[in-house]
Amino acid sequence: MVRTRYFFSETFTSLKRNFFMGFTAITTVAITLFIVGFFAIIVYDIQGIMSSVKSQVELRVYLKDEISEELKEYIEQEIISWEETESVEYVSKDLALERFKKQMEGSDILKEIEGNPLPASFDITLNNPEKIDQVELRFYDKDGNFIEGVDDVIYERKVVKPLFSITAIIGTIAFLIIIALLLAAIVLIFNTIRLSIYARRKEIEVMKLVGATNWFVRIPFLFEGFFEGFAGSIISIILLYFIGNFLLIKGERAIVDIMRIKELAIVGSGNVMLYVYVGVLVLGGLIGILSSVIALRRYVKV
Amino acid sequence: MNMIEFKNISKIYEDNTVALKNINLVIRKGEFLFLVGPSGSGKSTFIKLLIKEIDESNGNIYIAGRNVCNLKSSRIPQLRRNIGCVFQDYKLLPNKTVFENVALTLEVIGKPAYEIKIRVPQVLKLVGLYSKLNSYPYQLSAGEQQRVSIARAFVNRPPILLADEPTGNLDPGTAEGIMKILSRINLIGTTVLMATHDRNIVNSMRRRVVELEEGEIIRDQKRGVYGD
Repeated sequence: MVRTRYFFSETFTSLKRNFFMGFTAITTVAITLFIVGFFAIIVYDIQGIMSSVKSQVELRVYLKDEISEELKEYIEQEIISWEETESVEYVSKDLALERFKKQMEGSDILKEIEGNPLPASFDITLNNPEKIDQVELRFYDKDGNFIEGVDDVIYERKVVKPLFSITAIIGTIAFLIIIALLLAAIVLIFNTIRLSIYARRKEIEVMKLVGATNWFVRIPFLFEGFFEGFAGSIISIILLYFIGNFLLIKGERAIVDIMRIKELAIVGSGNVMLYVYVGVLVLGGLIGILSSVIALRRYVKV
Repeated sequence: MNMIEFKNISKIYEDNTVALKNINLVIRKGEFLFLVGPSGSGKSTFIKLLIKEIDESNGNIYIAGRNVCNLKSSRIPQLRRNIGCVFQDYKLLPNKTVFENVALTLEVIGKPAYEIKIRVPQVLKLVGLYSKLNSYPYQLSAGEQQRVSIARAFVNRPPILLADEPTGNLDPGTAEGIMKILSRINLIGTTVLMATHDRNIVNSMRRRVVELEEGEIIRDQKRGVYGD
């Protein structure tokens, strides 16, 4: 295609001529998209943490050793019948001891254990962690004592509650920052293209005089905007790959330590990073083209 | 055949300046016409109307028999491809070579590269600048620059060539050279319309002269002179 050759050489020439402005735009897009991608991973990660926390939200109902078989069965049937119950597992005294031993393997504490001091329990996983208070209450009678056969009911109340509100806040803040940064990137590319149009206003005038169509005039500028957005996103992907990954893994370790969460959806696992890269690439191209379109609408009256 | 026809054309600018008043004029195919008159007499308005850079306030313009007044804006490029334009200030692109400047006209139409490679040197030979193919405009004299701009206007062989004060910045000797090129282009059958207030050129050429004054035609003379 003749025109393709022409458009590419025009775009390239223009980029060379406005090198510093173009460089600024590309850098801005790179930094913006890096932060956007970074937050995207964090938000995604938080969801991962949320769901892994959610799946860990369970009530443990310790049973008295002297509980009768019938009562135990009755309580189990009750629990199963609740709509909030995802699943329930009966952990017998023997099983509890076995698990405890496994957990404490190699520790001196095992030698000091005589017999089996651990109680049997029902471990209930809920389908909606927010209903946890409601479910807990069912193990108390009117006077505030545990119902018959139940020794204690525990769950990690302290971790769960604030975690939900923190994740919501971080998510919102991240979203607002992303929007602000995207706007900044658009304004910058818009400005670059505007200057580029201004620098070439004579050329545009001449092109129109010799019968150029509007698209013929516009396309090199669209290419230029697209290139700037695209180049910026490539740089941001490289940054994300090296710096982002490193920071996120460090941060995640910290979260794991603080929150004592057993398992976590690890950053960079699966296709998450790939999705973010593709998203950043598409976003970069779109920002570039969108800014050019706005600039062209305003400055190339045809 | 009528190449250009103005019927009752008036142009009043937004600030209420009357540039042209009820102009009626027929220019036939292959004619060479001088549009003369002092600055502000409406010469430039006349040319801008022809390439649809501005719209008329009243009347109709026919080019090659077609009414261009209600032309859709998307059809304007097509119109301009049939009208070559030469300006007093050349309007060359400083960062492009002579070849590239002239090639622009063909690039815009979407001509293939091999055709551009044939046609551009051809037209540069016509204007006598074949040897300056790879020069930049700043390396050329004023007369040479104007010849490049003529080459650019004519490279796609449009049926009409408009020249707005093409010799305005040139000394008499150089201007004569430009006029020779325009005559040659006219001889091939191109309709040439040249706005000028260069008395000597008009008098030496003895072509049709249309004189404008305050937006009205006050004289239309075959084989005319500049006037008093």
